Amino acid sequence: MNDARPDTLAVRTADNVVLGYSVAGVGSRLAAQLVDGAVLSGILIVAYAVVTSAVGSVGGRNGALVAALIVSGVLFFVVFAYFFVFELATGGRTPGKNALGIRVMMLDGSSPDRAAILVRNVVRIVDTVMGGVGLFVMFFHPLARRLGDIAAGTVVVRDRQRTTLAAATAPVPLILKTPDAGPPIDGIEMLGSLEHDALRTFLVRPGLTPELRMRLATDIANRLYTRLELAPAAPERMWPPELFIERLYLQLEQRHR
Amino acid sequence: MSLDGFIADRRARWAELDGIVSRARRGNLRAASAAELERFGVLFRHASSDLAIARRDHPQAAVTEYLNELCSRAHVLLYRGAPFRLAQLPGDFALGIPRAWRAAWPYMVTSAACVALGFVAGWLAVYLRPDLRAAIVPSSLFDQMARGRVSGGIDHAPAVAFYIIQNNIRVALICFAGGVLLGLPTVLALASNGWMLGAIAAAVNIGGYNVQFWSLIVPHGVIELSIIVIAGGTGLMLGDAILRPGQLRRGDALSAAARRAAWLACDAALLLVVAGSLEAFVSPSGLPAAAKLGIGVATGVALYSWLGFAGRRESRATARLRLDAPAIVAAA
Repeated sequence: MNDARPDTLAVRTADNVVLGYSVAGVGSRLAAQLVDGAVLSGILIVAYAVVTSAVGSVGGRNGALVAALIVSGVLFFVVFAYFFVFELATGGRTPGKNALGIRVMMLDGSSPDRAAILVRNVVRIVDTVMGGVGLFVMFFHPLARRLGDIAAGTVVVRDRQRTTLAAATAPVPLILKTPDAGPPIDGIEMLGSLEHDALRTFLVRPGLTPELRMRLATDIANRLYTRLELAPAAPERMWPPELFIERLYLQLEQRHR
Repeated sequence: MSLDGFIADRRARWAELDGIVSRARRGNLRAASAAELERFGVLFRHASSDLAIARRDHPQAAVTEYLNELCSRAHVLLYRGAPFRLAQLPGDFALGIPRAWRAAWPYMVTSAACVALGFVAGWLAVYLRPDLRAAIVPSSLFDQMARGRVSGGIDHAPAVAFYIIQNNIRVALICFAGGVLLGLPTVLALASNGWMLGAIAAAVNIGGYNVQFWSLIVPHGVIELSIIVIAGGTGLMLGDAILRPGQLRRGDALSAAARRAAWLACDAALLLVVAGSLEAFVSPSGLPAAAKLGIGVATGVALYSWLGFAGRRESRATARLRLDAPAIVAAA
């Protein structure tokens, strides 16, 4: 995880562990808004049909006008209640946000409380005026927050699970040619788990052409000679670079076991 | 420790936590059993310390990414604000609004001053610039006065009430939300409301229809204008938080003020239902002017005695907490 990337948010938890969140961008938030808008339109069309037929059956020459007044009267509340109730009941996921895999979160990583949800949805009025003041603010805000998010202390983050336990912990086959770990390499105690992981990343990498693998191995081996402070005439320098890397890896594996 | 050993030691705990987190529905753990909840706390602490180790020793490994995801999914289930309870709402409404209103009195006074300023300006504009009268005051008002009466001309009262209420609530919420733009829209909305009222009142005064006009405005106007002033005051709180954040960063000051003011603004906006109903049913009705004015004054007395006096004594629960505190300290 890279804390410096502008579209990530680092939150320090009560246990003093940093959690990294990927911030939802303007695009996915607009798309979520479109989905919510479509759902809302459906609700309002049904509401209009119901009210018109109800008023029409009562009669009166101004039936259509009365129906329009009633529907425009509830419109504002329906739109507000839709966002407020859904975000409150689901921990910040409206149907649109759910469809896009994003959710509302407090800046400290906790679930949004009712005050925050109220504020961000009331300030939506200001965010949507003049063709979208909120959109403009989001565009330039490093965490893509609109005015309502700033006032409520919230941020919208990605919610979709990208890795599973099985995928993250599945053993990856090593590509090894050497039959054994070979003679002990001098200075190996200077290397730690970082080098171990780096060598592993190289050794599990599939699909490298032999020439490219050779070139990468030479490059890595040259850096490791320096790290290991090997003498210019050390026997390890005489090994083919790929063999050197494989033996080094296997020996590190034994030391760290 | 090698990555494989690290994973082998801890994999079972991660799988167990992953199972509990995956079974959470609608962003909470209410469906989990008591035993699961207890395990959840332990497992989450283990997982977050595992994440810290993985960050240090294996920053590029897939399992670090996985642990970060697992911990953030668990974190949001554990850390959350007080739950929303419908049963709290009446108490919060009855005592919370007056307390918040009294605490925010400087903003309420400023907000009222904005309206008053607009009113005086509108009144003076109509008096001092007769040539602009037609532009300032709706011409239908002059037509009505020429025909000898001033009326709202409202049919279909229930539907109109609906419309009036939603419109007023929207204005009130805009007054609050406008606070995020330094409160400028708020000041504008307050002053223009005062301006309209002042201009029309002056025109009516010139025409000599004072009693008819005020009997049309006062029954609902007392509550309506008060709520607009309150909503405007909350908007000014936000604007002030941005302009004078004190020791906080501006964004933090804004969100702290917004969270304090939001319930005051929204709960107060609910009172506009009362005002809108009066506006649709009482104001245009055939009741005698004295009765209408009386209703308006009565709503004003009720509103301001509630705002001024409700919840002044601390609740019994809070008082008991304070009394018990020394006993607890002594026992410890």
